[in-house]
Amino acid sequence: MNQNSHCEALQKPRQSKNAYLEIPLSKHEHKPLQVNPIKLSQPMGAALAFMGIRNCMPLMHGSQGCASYAKVFFTRHYNESIPLYNTSVGDITAILDGGDYSILMAIENITKKNTTLKPELIGLCTTGLTETKGDDVRNVATHIEIPYCYVNTPDYEGGMESGWALTAKALIKQHTKKTTTIEANKLLLLPHASMQPIEVEKIKEFCESFGFETYALPDLSTSLDGYLSQNQGKLGTGAIGIKEIRELGTCATVVSIGLSMQIAAKALLEKNQNILHLHFDHLMGQENNDNFVSALMKIRQNEPKSSIKRWRGRLQDAMLDSHFLIGSSHFVITGEPDMCVGMCELLCSVGGTIDAVIATVYSSVLETISAKNVFVGDLEDAEIYFENADLVISNYHAERLLHMQERHTGLILRGFPNYEELGNQLKNDQLYEGSTYFLFEVANKLREIKHHANINE
Amino acid sequence: MVSRAKIKELMNESACSHNKDKKKGEGCDMPKPGMAAGGCAFDGAQISLFPYADAVHLVHGPQTCLGASWETRETLSSYSGRNHTVMGFTTGITTNDVIFGGDKRLSSSIDYIVEHYAPEAIFVYSTCVTAMVGDDIDMTCKKASEKHAIPVVPVHAPGFVGGKNFGSRLAGEAVLEHLIGTQEPEYTTPYDINLIGDYNVTGDMWEYLPLFEKIGIRVLSSLSGDGRVGDIRTAHRAKLNVIVCAKSLITLCRKMQENYNIPWVSVSFYGKRDTSFAIMEIVNALGDETLIQRAKEVIAEEETKLEEKLLPYKKLFAGKKAVLNTGGNKAWSIASGLQDLGIEVVATSVRKSTAEDKEKAREYLGEEGILMMAPASEQSKIIDEKNADILLAGGRSLYTAIKKKISFIDVNQEKKVSYGGYNGLLNLAEDLKYAFSNPVFANVSKKAPWEAQ
Repeated sequence: MNQNSHCEALQKPRQSKNAYLEIPLSKHEHKPLQVNPIKLSQPMGAALAFMGIRNCMPLMHGSQGCASYAKVFFTRHYNESIPLYNTSVGDITAILDGGDYSILMAIENITKKNTTLKPELIGLCTTGLTETKGDDVRNVATHIEIPYCYVNTPDYEGGMESGWALTAKALIKQHTKKTTTIEANKLLLLPHASMQPIEVEKIKEFCESFGFETYALPDLSTSLDGYLSQNQGKLGTGAIGIKEIRELGTCATVVSIGLSMQIAAKALLEKNQNILHLHFDHLMGQENNDNFVSALMKIRQNEPKSSIKRWRGRLQDAMLDSHFLIGSSHFVITGEPDMCVGMCELLCSVGGTIDAVIATVYSSVLETISAKNVFVGDLEDAEIYFENADLVISNYHAERLLHMQERHTGLILRGFPNYEELGNQLKNDQLYEGSTYFLFEVANKLREIKHHANINE
Repeated sequence: MVSRAKIKELMNESACSHNKDKKKGEGCDMPKPGMAAGGCAFDGAQISLFPYADAVHLVHGPQTCLGASWETRETLSSYSGRNHTVMGFTTGITTNDVIFGGDKRLSSSIDYIVEHYAPEAIFVYSTCVTAMVGDDIDMTCKKASEKHAIPVVPVHAPGFVGGKNFGSRLAGEAVLEHLIGTQEPEYTTPYDINLIGDYNVTGDMWEYLPLFEKIGIRVLSSLSGDGRVGDIRTAHRAKLNVIVCAKSLITLCRKMQENYNIPWVSVSFYGKRDTSFAIMEIVNALGDETLIQRAKEVIAEEETKLEEKLLPYKKLFAGKKAVLNTGGNKAWSIASGLQDLGIEVVATSVRKSTAEDKEKAREYLGEEGILMMAPASEQSKIIDEKNADILLAGGRSLYTAIKKKISFIDVNQEKKVSYGGYNGLLNLAEDLKYAFSNPVFANVSKKAPWEAQ
């Protein structure tokens, strides 16, 4: 049945009513505007990263709206109170202030108003407004006693993924001490921006099971993980603090996951050249996880524990169980480059056909994706491919677009934002285990929509 | 461009109750570093105008402004064409535009929109960065308007000029300057009104518009819930402006009174009393005896119907006490709704309310009622003292309710059903019914096995 509908679809020319030009993968935009954008801004990525640091006060240097939008956005995505403050640049400070005044006033006002607030780090990110006026935000540290980290994140450059990565880099560059000594079993994980809190936790536990003392930067595993507690939304509650960040130079191993995180790994290597750097573009599917496990085995000279071996077998079984449905299906994926590349590889490894990947921003990792079309764009571009796809993997905004079309195309929600579903923070697509669940979710969704299509025929 | 003179004028709105107690020239509060909560002026402007579904809303700025904000509000529209309200359009400027100016990109974007989407009008919103680099948005819009023969309206509300309310005011200015009075209606009646400031969130307007129809009140145009650009262009022919729960658009109404001699009334449609009161305010202002008579009949009929439906809820809610912690006019409007359902409101927060809102809250709660100035620290004690059964507040107060083992409703959460009009009260009653009977709050307050009992 499924085979039939697939063959039929193939016979029909895959032509859209909106005739379109092939859009090449390029750093340059192919049109003057974005219609139904998927790109998210750098300061949002930076703010999120600061939330992954223990007792950090994420402070956005811009007009009050920048932080307000980011706050509402993450509140709805995670269903959590979000700790995010702003310097509320007004029309007069926009012209006269060089940056120091509104930042210092903001810190003073916030800590004065709430005396129980004891930030151990001020995490400042700039915005388009304050970058345009050319604020020098470096000097704030000389005026305050609280440790301070700044990151330049204009929102007319890069995107969420780069904002997050730049923040990890800034934390290391500005706070990690230089050293030449290493602790053999100390490991730092650098997860990319699209990883949900539970995914960071799972990868950390994975490394710990090999005997590593594991840190993650940023570490959202205890921050936006949907945990009921008092005093939520005041400061970051990540699992790493400024004290640990200072000592990261003694890590024997640093593992960057996602191409965007390479810059943070390089910043750490500058602190200590004896560190071994392992890089993985993603941790989805069998091949990359095999490589990951081999690397960890080699360092620790031990075997993975039995549950990891078990999960590899389960993943292989899931690949076989799902290959028929996925192997006969066409996919469209939108999102941050580091997220898209992992999903594509996993789906391709069981025979899926990726019709198009529409990325938020350019990244050279996109060049490695085997798909018919890979380019930087928006949902107006993506919509053209929706019609002929069986399944779309995209964010919340794709839902309404898919409702509007006649053909029944499935949707799996991944990436930011997801206002539609609860429990986003606990969705795990990483390692053997998460990949297994991901394949089942995709296959089940395909069965549901193909079954639906057959009934309607 | 947005000029200092205009900012000053709007900050000192004489008709605004916020400004009554202030010294001359003091005007609205400017954001204080670190203290400003809530959206910026651009946010307010887009909230005020986005519901025009037949227009495209183009945000001329970098990524944050639109990237995180489109398709977030449940402002419903009955427009039969392509609904642009649920779409996002942005020039998404890059470094190049910051250095060399973004006018060219803006003008190509407008061309692209006209070619692919053929809207009735285009609103172009300036933002911090494009205002700062000095893009000549007025000129670009003027030229585009001439080229494409549709209104292309510049909205100058960059985030740094102020907060959300202020942005709404600036949006009102743009509408007044570029749209109102640019077209004549097909016909007029003595009962034509403009609805100002209701954005039809979750279909709020649709709860009371059928009553208007029954009575014979005709909505000529709306700013901007379920509104059409073509209608707002004819707004100058209305007999009355009706502001719904929105102080920010008072300036627009005052100016329309000065320019077009249209009087205005300010009303709210939350709860039974407010809805009835609002209808009477409108018909009295229109001043037609038969209309007033018909309104009285419709109100009586609707209230009887409603009372009947409320009876089972009132039985259920008898003796229940509520603490309310929310901002602005919700401090009394939700209180009024709760009282209509027979729930005693023992305290409400007036932390962010105006003098007028405080007065109203006192009127609704009576002498016994507590007006909380620091709800975060007060509410917990009041719940104990007054033996309250439910806390209606923002998500941050959830923990207080759990600790006190009482029911909770998040009033700041994006609601999915309307609380407006007579029927909205039934929706509120349903939500309360489930909140009171849900054991979840008591269940999650239980201690873990490893905690001291």
